[in-house]
Amino acid sequence: MKKFPFQKRTLALIAVLVPLLVLFVYVALRSGPLAPVSVVLTTVEESEISPAMFGIGTIEARYTYKIGPTSAGRVKRLDVNTGDYVKAGQVLGDMDPVDLDARIRAQDAGFKRAAALISEAQARKDYAQTQSSRYNLLLKSRATSKELAAAKRQELQIAAAGLTAAREDLSRTAADRKALQAQLNNLLLLSPVDGLVVSRDADPGTTVVAGQFVVEIIDPTSLWINVRFDQTRARGLAAGLPGQITLRSRSGEFQTGRVLRTEPLADAVTEETLAKVVFDQIPEPLPPIGELVEVTVTLPKMAAAAVIPNAAIHHINGQPGVWKHVNGHLQFTPITLGESDLEGRVQVQKGLKSGDQIVLYSENALKEHSKIRIVDHIAGVTQ
Amino acid sequence: MISLAGRDIMHSWGKFVFTGMGLGLLIGVTLSMAGIYRGMVDDARVLLENSGADLWVVQKDTLGPYAESSSIYDDSWRGIRSISGVADAADITYLTMQVRRKGVDVRAMVTGITAGGPGTPGWPPYLIGGRQITRGHYEAVADIATKFKLGERIKIRRNHYTIVGLTRRMVSSSGDPMVFIPLKDAQEAQFLKDNDAIREQRRRTEENSAFNRPGVPGLLDAIIASQSINTYVNAVLVRVATGHNPDEVAESIRRWKHLTVYTRSQMEEILVGKLIATSAKQIAMFLIILSIVSSAIVAFIIYTLTMGKIREIAVLKLIGTKNRTIVGLIMQQSIALGLIGFVVGKITATLLMAPIFPKHVLLEPLDSIFGFIAVVMICILSSIISIRAALKVNPAEAIGG
Amino acid sequence: MTEKGITIVGVKKRYGSGDTAVEALKNVNMHVAPGEVVGLIGPSGSGKSTLLKCLGAVIEPTAGQMMLGDDLIYDNAWRVKDLRALRRDRIGFVFQAPYLIPFLDVTDNVALLPMLAGKPNAEARKQARELFKALDIEHRAKAMPSQLSGGEQQRVAIARGLVNRPPVILADEPTAPLDSERALAVIRILNEMAQKFATAIIVVTHDEKIIPTFKRIYHIRDGVTYEEKGEGRSFE
Repeated sequence: MKKFPFQKRTLALIAVLVPLLVLFVYVALRSGPLAPVSVVLTTVEESEISPAMFGIGTIEARYTYKIGPTSAGRVKRLDVNTGDYVKAGQVLGDMDPVDLDARIRAQDAGFKRAAALISEAQARKDYAQTQSSRYNLLLKSRATSKELAAAKRQELQIAAAGLTAAREDLSRTAADRKALQAQLNNLLLLSPVDGLVVSRDADPGTTVVAGQFVVEIIDPTSLWINVRFDQTRARGLAAGLPGQITLRSRSGEFQTGRVLRTEPLADAVTEETLAKVVFDQIPEPLPPIGELVEVTVTLPKMAAAAVIPNAAIHHINGQPGVWKHVNGHLQFTPITLGESDLEGRVQVQKGLKSGDQIVLYSENALKEHSKIRIVDHIAGVTQ
Repeated sequence: MISLAGRDIMHSWGKFVFTGMGLGLLIGVTLSMAGIYRGMVDDARVLLENSGADLWVVQKDTLGPYAESSSIYDDSWRGIRSISGVADAADITYLTMQVRRKGVDVRAMVTGITAGGPGTPGWPPYLIGGRQITRGHYEAVADIATKFKLGERIKIRRNHYTIVGLTRRMVSSSGDPMVFIPLKDAQEAQFLKDNDAIREQRRRTEENSAFNRPGVPGLLDAIIASQSINTYVNAVLVRVATGHNPDEVAESIRRWKHLTVYTRSQMEEILVGKLIATSAKQIAMFLIILSIVSSAIVAFIIYTLTMGKIREIAVLKLIGTKNRTIVGLIMQQSIALGLIGFVVGKITATLLMAPIFPKHVLLEPLDSIFGFIAVVMICILSSIISIRAALKVNPAEAIGG
Repeated sequence: MTEKGITIVGVKKRYGSGDTAVEALKNVNMHVAPGEVVGLIGPSGSGKSTLLKCLGAVIEPTAGQMMLGDDLIYDNAWRVKDLRALRRDRIGFVFQAPYLIPFLDVTDNVALLPMLAGKPNAEARKQARELFKALDIEHRAKAMPSQLSGGEQQRVAIARGLVNRPPVILADEPTAPLDSERALAVIRILNEMAQKFATAIIVVTHDEKIIPTFKRIYHIRDGVTYEEKGEGRSFE
């Protein structure tokens, strides 16, 4: 049929069916598993990177003073509260002496009694001395017997020993009293340093055992951060490295600091390396002890080398590599990785040179013979 | 000979195309149904594929970590790593939960991945934007289905995370998008309930006089600290070294470590055979119902069309048309209707259903071919009633009346 | 009975059997020569539809003989194997309503018959178009049936009946839906065509307007035909 008898109808039919068929072919080829994979390419660049490591830690005080009584007792008075600044030697509080004063008075009486006993012993000795001297003279003039004179000498020796004993007793009593006095003085809780009271663990009236602390004082100038770094990423961590510190309460704000030391003992359970980081300048107001902080320690810059983003790294059978774009085809190129920084840039030691085109992002997992379509960004991704 | 069916279709093409489109929408739904099933199987497969693991080591006698909960010590991997044939072993945690972003909740499977770098089992194998996690804490790579954007801050339990990378098609077996975060954070997220719960726990511990003894300072603190540690993970992913048989490696882990180990094929069986079995049955049921409905509709349409032409058919028979020609007329129309329906169905399934459906819809070309064959078969079968009716028409009906 | 045209001798048709049997045709004898147009008239129930169906090879008579041209097609049983081909090639039908195929244009409606007989499309269409001039529907050759007037449709139907040049045409009330002018026009055309193609035409009718035009009329009453001379009036 050369000429269609119903052209208008035919045209309308074509107008409906042809787009439908075109759409169908498009749908069959451009979607589903037959469709090419969208990929985003990037160029390998020569660049230097500054590796860094990231850890989290808590603020701790280097020196903590826990003040408490040396013997069990009751807290009588506590003058300071949490948050107070105290000076070295300042009286913080006082323990209840209980029977200590009475015992000192008893010791005082005992002392006087000992002094009286010395006088008595002295008197005895003086008398024995006189008697002994007299009988000695009598013996010389043969007016008395040798036996009697020896008895008087012995009496003198006994009296002298009695005097010495009485004297020692006096000094014992004095020492006892001194000890009690010292205990009385120790009832005062004194601050050993200039510092900040961080906790007050007992209130007046509480009975505490020896060694239990009543007040905790820290030295605010000694704040440091106990940081934990994952072991797999702690390479190069050393004292003196500069770091950036972000307090959890002040996110977006940076404090500078440096690594004071790395701990010789790692945490075996959590597989972390520990390090202490100090602030260059203690932030004001003082951050609370125990606050979580994020610490980024910067390592020295690495010499320039081929650098790729870590998103481009793929693994096939455990071998790291990248998909290299060569003449419209993909080719898996094994690479050896070097240092990386926290922005996800990784140095490539072997396998790539700068200027190579590699796949950065892909819509699906790639294979050697994947059909690809190069795009600016994968659909749906917005910055 | 001219095509009578073709002429008839041309003559009333509007009716025909619109009927075909209606049928097409139905076929589109049917194809989408098949696509949903394929999507579920594919989700499961992709979940396993993307984990990069050859073996899954889980708590003894559980079907974990996807189908059942499983929990093993987080240092189990050290022992597993030392077994011959194991190229890599990494802890992993999975926790399906609500992730908050600007007050909106998104259901996601939060996956805790071992620190290490791309290529460690469990890490997303490829990205569609951003970069992989570099910091050991508070960074996240999210699936694009979460609608999170690069640089956004999201909240998981008590911590905020920055989205640094985006993935695609990283979903749990139930279709929830995945959010990858460092393992330590994930362990914490899995363990830590919320601040209220922690305070309650502390208070309860303090009130227990066995833990809070006056004569033993520091005991309470030690107990509370020990309560806030989570040393468990859900599974250890194992990559088998090249040249080793995964089954053998699995067997030696099973024997020495007293843990349950699944290989890739066993895991696939668990996911496909157990986890999505019910959904698959539902979908199969729907497919059957939709097929029956489709064939009923085709049969009805063709029957109506044929009955409308009964007098013409009588005339055709009277003037000597062969039965074959009349059967051809009806069957060709039926198939043509099926073809329009299939084309429209395929287009709607691909361009309309697949993108807007909340679940992954995977339209396999092979399924489309089977669908096409099924549509043609259904159309042929459906036209049988009409053909019988047409053949019964007596040519005498055209004469007189 | 060597004369051409159609000849029917002693055709009987009985529906059913036994007690309930109805003899629709008892004794039918007809002869229509080529180029002749005869009328077949009878009240309803007289058996004219049955006769038409028997002639049209749609139902089988019970007894008798039918000859089409030189061929004995029925002699107490069908003598022709392919009735379909017989209807297609050797009998033309024109119905009360035109019964055109609505989805085919005028040319193809007519050309369909030669096509069904296996002729190539172009040749079949050529064969169809040859008739259009005579029937004065040339200008509507590409129109669809729904676009035609009643008279035009009937003319297309006549063309369809004629296209295979059958020796006989059976016309069943061809003028019923038409007014007298058009009815007469149709009869005139039938006469012209009968002359032109040497076709025997049987017109079943009870249309008073056209009965006077027949030269010869068969009356049928209770299954028996009676021949009668018609007025043979002119059509104008």
